[in-house]
Amino acid sequence: MKRFRRHAGLWVWCYAMLFPVLAIYAYVRIYPIGRSVQLSFFDWKLMARVRPFIGWDNYTRMLGDENFHIAIWNTFVYSLATVLLSTVIALPLAVLLARRGRASAVYQTIYFLPVITPLVPMSIAWKWIYDYNYGILNYALSFVGIPPIAWLTDPHIALWALVIMGVWKVLGYNLVIFLVGIRNIPAPYIEAASLDGASDLQTFWHVTMPLLRPIVLYVLVTSTINAFNVFTQVYVMTLGSQAAPGQAVRVLVYDIYQNAFQYFRMGYASAEAVTLTLIVLGFTLIQFRAFRQREAA
Amino acid sequence: MSALTGVGKLRRRDALALAGAAALAGTRSARAADTKLTIWTGYPEIQPVYQAVAAEYAKTHPGVTFDFFSTSLREAEQKLTAAVPTGTGPDIFDIGTNISINFIDNQLIEPNPPDIDAHLKSGVWGKFTVDFFTLDGKTYGLPFLEGSRASMYWNKAYFQEAGLSGPPATFPELIEAAKKLVKIDSQGRMTRSGISLRLSGQGSGIGEKFRYILEAAGGSLIEQKGPGKWHNGYDNQAGRDALGFYVDAVQTWHIDDPKVPHDADAFASGATAMLFRESWVIGEIQSKNPKLDYGVAPIPAWKAGMPRMMLLQPEGVYVNGQSQNKAAAWDFVKFLTNARGGMKLTEVTGWLSPRTDIDWKPLLAKTPQFEVFVAPPSDIKYYVEPVLTAFDEVESRLADRLTASYIDPSLKGNPDAIAARIHDMAQQTDKILKDAKLYG
Repeated sequence: MKRFRRHAGLWVWCYAMLFPVLAIYAYVRIYPIGRSVQLSFFDWKLMARVRPFIGWDNYTRMLGDENFHIAIWNTFVYSLATVLLSTVIALPLAVLLARRGRASAVYQTIYFLPVITPLVPMSIAWKWIYDYNYGILNYALSFVGIPPIAWLTDPHIALWALVIMGVWKVLGYNLVIFLVGIRNIPAPYIEAASLDGASDLQTFWHVTMPLLRPIVLYVLVTSTINAFNVFTQVYVMTLGSQAAPGQAVRVLVYDIYQNAFQYFRMGYASAEAVTLTLIVLGFTLIQFRAFRQREAA
Repeated sequence: MSALTGVGKLRRRDALALAGAAALAGTRSARAADTKLTIWTGYPEIQPVYQAVAAEYAKTHPGVTFDFFSTSLREAEQKLTAAVPTGTGPDIFDIGTNISINFIDNQLIEPNPPDIDAHLKSGVWGKFTVDFFTLDGKTYGLPFLEGSRASMYWNKAYFQEAGLSGPPATFPELIEAAKKLVKIDSQGRMTRSGISLRLSGQGSGIGEKFRYILEAAGGSLIEQKGPGKWHNGYDNQAGRDALGFYVDAVQTWHIDDPKVPHDADAFASGATAMLFRESWVIGEIQSKNPKLDYGVAPIPAWKAGMPRMMLLQPEGVYVNGQSQNKAAAWDFVKFLTNARGGMKLTEVTGWLSPRTDIDWKPLLAKTPQFEVFVAPPSDIKYYVEPVLTAFDEVESRLADRLTASYIDPSLKGNPDAIAARIHDMAQQTDKILKDAKLYG
C-alpha cells in the first residue's frame, strides 16, 4: 500500500500523458467500429430522414446478394494467393540476403521500394504495364514467344493481375521482417548445426524455421489483414473504358464502398464491413491457434 | 441643468445607438462586400468556364470572391453526398438529377426563389428542360449543360478508304460498314475497331451506352407504369436484340474487341472508325488531334422505318439549401447560365448549353460537327434519363452483368441463352425498384 502511494503520482502522471493518445485512438478507431455495428442494424441511407431499425435484415439480405458472394470469393482467392506467394517468395529471398554485404543492402532497398511508393500512382502505372497493346509486360513476354495477354480485360485473368501487383507491393515488407528475424537468431544455434554436419537446407528447416515461427505468424497475420482490405488498385483498375470488368475483380471493400458511397446504403455497407471484420478476425485467430498448437506439439 | 443633462444623456444614448447601428451596418456592408462563393463541379474541364464567368461577374460585383473545387463526376457526387447533409457543402454545385433528386427529397435543395422560378420559365429553355427541373409543381436549380444528346462520330478518311459514302442510317448498315472498317493484322489482332462500344470497366456508363442500342431497338431500361411506379422495359425482343448486337459485335462480326483501345481517346487517335458519344468529344478532338477529319451524325435507326433516338439528360446547377450566401449565389447562377455563359461553356468544353436562344452560327461556322447536337434533325425522337433515386443503381448493376455477357461464349448464336440472361438482368432491375418502393 505504501509502495502504491509512493508511486501513485507516477501512475497518475503516466495515465494523464497517455490519455490524449488513448482518447484519440478510441475516437478514430473504436468509436467508428462500434458505430458501424450499430448502423448495420438500421436501414440507414445517407440522405434519408427516416432510418428505421431493421434488425438482422441487412445480414440476411447479404445471403442473397450475388455481388456480395462474388466479392467474398474474389477476396478470398486474392488474399490466399497474395499471402501465400508473398510469404513463400520472401522467405528464401530473406535467407539469401541475410548474409551481410553491400549487394544485400542494395537488393533490400530495391525490394522495399514498392512498399513506400503510393498506391494510386502505382496502380495507374500497373494499368499501363498490363495494357494489351502498349504494355511493357506483353512486350517483355513477346521476347520469349508468349502471345499478348489481356491482363485486365480478360475476366479469367484480371484477378490474377491484381494478385501479381499485390505480391509486388507487399514482398519487400515481408522480406525485411523475415530478414530481421533471421539476423536475430543466435549464431551458436547455426554454428552447432554446422558442427553436427547439417546441410544449409537442413539448417534452414530444422533450426531457422522453428526459431522464425513467431515472425512467420506475424507476417501471415499482417499480410492476411492487408490482403482482405485490398481496394485502391481495384478501384483504379476498373476506372475507364480500358479497364478490368467490375465483376471479375469485385472485392469486399470495393463492394462496401459501392454500397456506401454510390448507392448510399450505409446500413447495408456497415453490415458488410462488420462481416469483413469478423472474417479477418476469424482467420487471425485460426493462424494464432495453429501456430500455438504446433509450438505445444 | 437637469434638462440640459437630460438632453445631454439623450444625445449620448442617441450617439451610442447611432454608433452601434453604424458599426452593425458597417459589419453588414463589409460582409456583403466580402461574400465568398464556393463552387464544386464534377467536370474538371468546366472549371475554366466557371473561372472565366466568375472573373466577368466580379467586374460588376467587386465584393464577391470565388473558391473553386473540381474532381471527377463520381467523386464529386460522393463528396457532395457527404458534405451537403452535414452542412459542409459548397454554396453552388452542378450535379446530375440522379443525385439532386436525393437532395430535393431531403430538403437539402430548396425550391427556386420566385425570381429564379420566373427566369427558368421565361422561355429561354424548352418546355422539356423546364419540366426536368420541376417536381410537384416546384422548380429546383437551373439547367446548366446538356449531359447527353449522344450521337455517332465517324471518321471520314476511314469511310472514304473503305468505299463508304457517308454515315450509316440504320443498324444493319452500321454493321456492314463496321465490318469494312475494322482492321486486323497478319497475326489476327485487331488494330482498328469498326465501332468502339463500351465493353469493359464498371459503373453506370456501361448501362447508359447499352441504352443507346436498347432504345433504338424499341426498348427502355425502365418504363413508368403510373405515378411513382416503374418496372423494367427490356425483358422483351428489344432487350434481346440489344444484347445480341453486343455479343455478335464482339464474337461473331469481330467489329470490336475489349482488348483494343476504346472511347474518345480511341476515336481521337484513329484507333476506331465509329463511336457513340456526347458533344464533349469534339473538345477532346480539338485538343488532342485537331486535324482529324470526322463527322457527327445521329445514332442510326434500328431498321428502316424505325425512328432515330437521342438521349436527353440536362444537368443542373444548384444553390445549397444551407448556404449562408443564397442571394449572392443565385445571382451568380443566373449570370452563369445566361446566353454568353452558355456559349462559353460550349466553346471551351464542348458540352452544350441547353438554352434555346443561343445563336450557334459562329460556332457552327468554326466547328460544323456541333450541328447534330445543337440542331438535331426534326425526325429524331427523344428519350430521357428518369429522375429516380434508384436509377444509378439500376444502370450500375446492369453494367456488372453486361460486361461479362458481351464476351460470354455461351451466348454466341444462342437466342435462348440471351433471352434467359436478359430475363435475369430484368429481374434484378425490378428487385432494385421494389427495394426502393418504386415498383409497380
